Amino acid sequence: MTLPIMKNYINGEWVESNGTTMGDVTNPATGKKIAQVVYGTKDDVEQAVKAAQEAFVQWRETPPLTRARYIFRIKDVFEENFEEIAQTLTMENGKIIDEARAEVRRMIENVEHATAATTLMCGYTLEDIAKGIDSYGHRQPMGVFAGIVPYNFPAMVPWWFLPYALVTGNTYVLKPSEQVPMTQTKIFECLDEVGFPEGVVNMVHGSKDVVNAILDHQDIQGVSFVGSTATAEYIYKRCGETGKRVQALGGAKNIVGVMPDANLDAGIPSLVTSFYGVAGQRCLAGSILAPVGDIADELLERFLAEAKKIKVGDGLSDQTGMGPMAGKIHQDRVLAYIEKGIEEGATLVLDGRDCKVEGCPDGFFVGPTVFDNVTPDMTIAREEIFGPVVSVVRCSTFEDLIKLVNTRNFANAACLYTDSGAAARKFKYEALPSMVGINIGIAAPMSFFPFGGSGNSMFGDIKAHGQEIFQFFTDTKVVMERWF
Amino acid sequence: MPITNFGGLLNFAEEIEKQDMAFYSSVAANPEMSDLSDLFQGFAKDGKKNIVHILRTRRENVTEMILEPIIDFFRKPFVLESRDDKQMDRSQILEYSQKMEARAIAYYTEGAIKIKALPEVSQALKLAGKKRIAHTKKLSSL
Repeated sequence: MTLPIMKNYINGEWVESNGTTMGDVTNPATGKKIAQVVYGTKDDVEQAVKAAQEAFVQWRETPPLTRARYIFRIKDVFEENFEEIAQTLTMENGKIIDEARAEVRRMIENVEHATAATTLMCGYTLEDIAKGIDSYGHRQPMGVFAGIVPYNFPAMVPWWFLPYALVTGNTYVLKPSEQVPMTQTKIFECLDEVGFPEGVVNMVHGSKDVVNAILDHQDIQGVSFVGSTATAEYIYKRCGETGKRVQALGGAKNIVGVMPDANLDAGIPSLVTSFYGVAGQRCLAGSILAPVGDIADELLERFLAEAKKIKVGDGLSDQTGMGPMAGKIHQDRVLAYIEKGIEEGATLVLDGRDCKVEGCPDGFFVGPTVFDNVTPDMTIAREEIFGPVVSVVRCSTFEDLIKLVNTRNFANAACLYTDSGAAARKFKYEALPSMVGINIGIAAPMSFFPFGGSGNSMFGDIKAHGQEIFQFFTDTKVVMERWF
Repeated sequence: MPITNFGGLLNFAEEIEKQDMAFYSSVAANPEMSDLSDLFQGFAKDGKKNIVHILRTRRENVTEMILEPIIDFFRKPFVLESRDDKQMDRSQILEYSQKMEARAIAYYTEGAIKIKALPEVSQALKLAGKKRIAHTKKLSSL
């Protein structure tokens, strides 16, 4: 059987890459190859940026309301293709179909939010800043922007940026993850239906060469990135060297604290989902479960009981509760962390290593895993595992919990389960991570709030989506005006 | 087979509606039931609307923050064997129609409780159930 080969989308056309290296796209539930992708080159990026640069001239003059109408059309096409996008996503990424649907929904929510450009892009004015002189600041688009996005949310993450870039009058070049290029290809087929002017939105598949070509390109004004901390830091530095705006979102080590007064009956389902949703491959996933005081034994017993019920399997079945790792490399990485946990003396109380799934012998599965008696200095309590592995760090006091949260190498998200308003307030006030959940296991800001951490979880100033994103994609030009 | 999640719950609702819609469409075209053709055509139309409603609910109300598992909910009590109206007499058709409606009402009622963490979904199921209650009343009045 001939596998489909993903093409680049440049200047309103589907074009073949100049590259000679081909990568496989694998269904992680079956281990079978389902598509191929040519890794693009510097020339491909050059063509895309040239097209985007040329398109910018007219696109920036297109009234914001007209640009917003294009974005409204995107929403319509996405709604029509909703299920197909979700199914494609599950096939190449492995997450369960409900999670894929939730991701596509979040993608559309960003499209919806971007349509508010005529309000959110407005500048401001002050008369008489001096006698007879008025001043006003208005937001101007800047040119070509680029996005470099990860494998774990192939539909949603590009759309944390792309619709805002377009609606503010910029043009765009997107590089999807080479592991999961099919989802954005499907999405760009939808964009092709919308009928943007040629060159306004472009996509180049590829790997490191494409990334470096984007980072070094003089005509790209800014880059949005989501991925590992190491790469985020690299992107941040390279963009600094070439004078680009940058927002680079990195890794996480999220702690979910549970106070003795927590309502476990209500909280357990979302607690379990926090750790095992998307098989732990989300930057907001719980990684450390930190019971405070004497709730630890009861919590662990109940958590384990629910974790054992999770049916691991192919995400396309609606009977499946947790899908596979997104690839073999990720499965191996998670398994290595489990070995590390055992080696460093943590107690493995639920072992997901030998996870067999009927009908999917070659899938990249890791079952729900729980370590008890993890100490804050162990590797599994410090490094991002990005898999369905829970490290239970028992805290004697609330202060111990806060200390644990604030001494990880990351500051992305933190959650607290409690019935105490005072404890919740203290947690919100003192925890360093930028996204906080109270009795919520996945503290995921919606499109109208900013998304991003601090510390080593985020490099740059302006986070994804929210109102602030309109600043990232515009330059505020301030005019002082006097007439004689 | 257990219904364990949001998608599973709405998928089964879609299956129920499709099964019932197919039966009602067939009955509406059945010469033996020509006097009730409008009624059954109306039921089939309601089924079509319910499917649109269910699919829209599945698209628009899925949120990862509260994508929690559904517990102790099974398809089995709501499974009804498909029947061919051509092999049934008038009273059997009406009796089977009542059974389908009762099954749908029970499913939507219990489903709405199971998915109460997502109020919009719960409400959508209740609305679908309301249409089925109206069907039951019409059937009972014959």
